[in-house]
Amino acid sequence: MQQSGGSEMEVTWEDQQNINRFSKLNNRFHELEDEIRIAKETNDNLEDASNELILTDEEVVRFQIGEVFAHVPKDEVESRIEDMKEVTTKNLEKLEEEKDSVLAQMAELKKILYGKFRDSINLEED
Amino acid sequence: MLPSRHYPWEFALVEGAKSYMHPMYRGLLHLSYWIMWVVLVVIGRMGCQQYKLVEMKLLAQQRDLQAKLPDIEKCLDIVATLQGKKGSGEVRCLTQLILLTTLRRHIYSRAQIENTESVCLWLGANVMLEYSCEEATVLLQKNLENARASLEVLVADLQFLRDQVTIPQVTIARVYNWDVHQKRIRQGGAPAKDS
Repeated sequence: MQQSGGSEMEVTWEDQQNINRFSKLNNRFHELEDEIRIAKETNDNLEDASNELILTDEEVVRFQIGEVFAHVPKDEVESRIEDMKEVTTKNLEKLEEEKDSVLAQMAELKKILYGKFRDSINLEED
Repeated sequence: MLPSRHYPWEFALVEGAKSYMHPMYRGLLHLSYWIMWVVLVVIGRMGCQQYKLVEMKLLAQQRDLQAKLPDIEKCLDIVATLQGKKGSGEVRCLTQLILLTTLRRHIYSRAQIENTESVCLWLGANVMLEYSCEEATVLLQKNLENARASLEVLVADLQFLRDQVTIPQVTIARVYNWDVHQKRIRQGGAPAKDS
């Protein structure tokens, strides 16, 4: 069995902190994936809405604000949807950036921990 | 040469002393080993469970807050729209028929709002206050910021908890591995003894 290596090696406080940091980053990574998925869905919905808006020929469109639908003139609806799309795109970019940085930090920590513990530690997803 | 050092504290014993040690003292050594096992593994696991309970509570609080945030933002939106329409006269909108039973949530009816001077805000605990539009915006903004701040605090707490759970888990794994290692040494030593 290869576990004999594990009981001979000392685990220092620094190693413990690295393991904790890796666990925090892993959790944050999964949260980010969910948030990115939701942001992409919202973006797609806004795209569809603006496409529908172009096709429609009504002058006054019912635009949802909270739980209320307000009669809003078509131009205003267009500009509102444009603004919302900008906000969600910027949000999506920020989330993607954070995800990339989290992945980079996780790769660094993996290198360090695997270097010290080789087989005695498992850092992969199940 | 068979290894006579099975437990770390046996370093104090003279080499080979265990073979002519009184059985009672040998029993005490085994007992001390068992106590260490109980303390580190069993109680460590129980501690992890306590942490898990607190983590569940914090996660539920976080979910609630994350649901409250978009609500507050929507309210801000509506108030802002009302303020914006102040100049252009009336606002025509479709509002939900919120009946007392709250079963009829998807029925809508036409409503014309002419007075955009004040809004009523539901403050919870069966209290609703009328505010002017500006005051309402200020209040909702403050609520939004408070909610965001408490969410940050919650996230920090959750991270701390996860660290506290990881440390005992790693320690338990190390104790277990050490025990396996010792058993293997003992078994490796015993056949050599017999021969």
